[in-house]
Amino acid sequence: MTKDRDTVLRMEDVHKSFGDNHVLRGVSMGIRRGETKILIGPSGTGKSTLLTCINMLTPPESGKIWLLEDEITASKKVNLLRQKIGFVFQDFSLFNHLTALGNVSIGLTKVKGMERKKAREKAMQELKQVGLEDKASSYPAQLSGGQKQRVAIARALAMDPQLILFDEPTSALDPELIGEVLQVMKKLANQGMTMLVVSHEMGFARSVADEVIFMEGGVIVEQGPPAQLFSKPRVERTGEFLSRLSGLFGEEGEK
Amino acid sequence: MTFWDVIQQSWSPMLDGLQVTIQLTLLSIVFGLALGLILALGKVYGWKPVRWLCTAFIEIIRGTPMLVQIFIIYFGLPPYGIRLSPLEAAVIAFSVNSGAYQAEYLRGAIQSIPSGQMQAALSMGMSRWQGVISIIMPQALRRVIPPWTNEFIYLLKYTSLAYIIGTPELMAQARFVASRNYEYFQTYLFAALIYLAIVLVFSELFSWVERKVRIPGFEFHK
Repeated sequence: MTKDRDTVLRMEDVHKSFGDNHVLRGVSMGIRRGETKILIGPSGTGKSTLLTCINMLTPPESGKIWLLEDEITASKKVNLLRQKIGFVFQDFSLFNHLTALGNVSIGLTKVKGMERKKAREKAMQELKQVGLEDKASSYPAQLSGGQKQRVAIARALAMDPQLILFDEPTSALDPELIGEVLQVMKKLANQGMTMLVVSHEMGFARSVADEVIFMEGGVIVEQGPPAQLFSKPRVERTGEFLSRLSGLFGEEGEK
Repeated sequence: MTFWDVIQQSWSPMLDGLQVTIQLTLLSIVFGLALGLILALGKVYGWKPVRWLCTAFIEIIRGTPMLVQIFIIYFGLPPYGIRLSPLEAAVIAFSVNSGAYQAEYLRGAIQSIPSGQMQAALSMGMSRWQGVISIIMPQALRRVIPPWTNEFIYLLKYTSLAYIIGTPELMAQARFVASRNYEYFQTYLFAALIYLAIVLVFSELFSWVERKVRIPGFEFHK
């Protein structure tokens, strides 16, 4: 992996096991500033584990991960580094006792020590960014799935992260709600946010990804620009998976 | 004597007793809550020896009769130089006992909060402790109100056991009054009505609090 100034995230030979289950078997990759990379692959292949290794929610057994100049895997101040890595969960995981505005501002006040009034102003801007300023005082239970996920994205954005990790952000959504979330993510990608996204939304991948990474069995099988990977994959297995995927999702991904 | 005569003759000592009962209950529930929080957090988030210690404490307290605990503290400690007034001994016994029960209610409430909440807190850069304080506890405390109200009501009525070591609470006063007027039925009925009234007041108060801090969609049964 070549290291250059623009590299936001870099990992080398990352391994992770849960008991006897060797989930990640040596993953190396890097993301440069402003890039969007999409991680695809069959379930149980370690895509989500890779994301939680990056923010050390499940620390890897071996291998190294850097965020800019800081080696996350050797850091004593993981909390500090996590502020710089946004994380968007499949099940949203909004804080149930807080309004949309509270969800977005709590990291600013509690983690960044920002003054309450300033935090609310910034949170409001982030809600505007995802088109939900009119839902600021709604509680999670009063929002649709798509709205919840957009609040979760605003919550990640508020921390001014270097990078946002998305763990299947649309898989828990009803089909008609997927579009609004992808719309927001597309906008972020265009604004130059650095993103690593686990997703099987092929249309989304095709239109925004700089690179698609196909993972299987805990390793990266193949990676490349979506046009190349989707039309003529170099590895047979990639093609098989992709054709199965388009059989499932078909044109639905083309939003 | 009519019931009305009994009330007229005895309301003054009975209200004195009620005051002690309320004092005993409030002190014990508050100390018990503090102890219960420590035990519950220790049991859920502590490292192994702490977890084990908290569990052992809770099991021992829940597994022995409250009256035995009161006797140990009031009659058992003086030989070791610890002399307590009946009220002090009762407050300690009830606090410790209630703390063990409150710990279990709190633990259940804490563990009912989905693990994703803590994951989300950590991933935005909060420490585990910040996650507990800012994210988990505000939700868990709301959930614990109904079982906690139950514990409060139990405790309020259990404080009547303190009469045995001579704490001048409501039950002790009722016995005193009845031993003078020989109207056992009517005097104890009066005491019972006072207990009932005060329980109703508190349970109404706590359900008001529950409604006050309610968050849309966060109820248990939905």
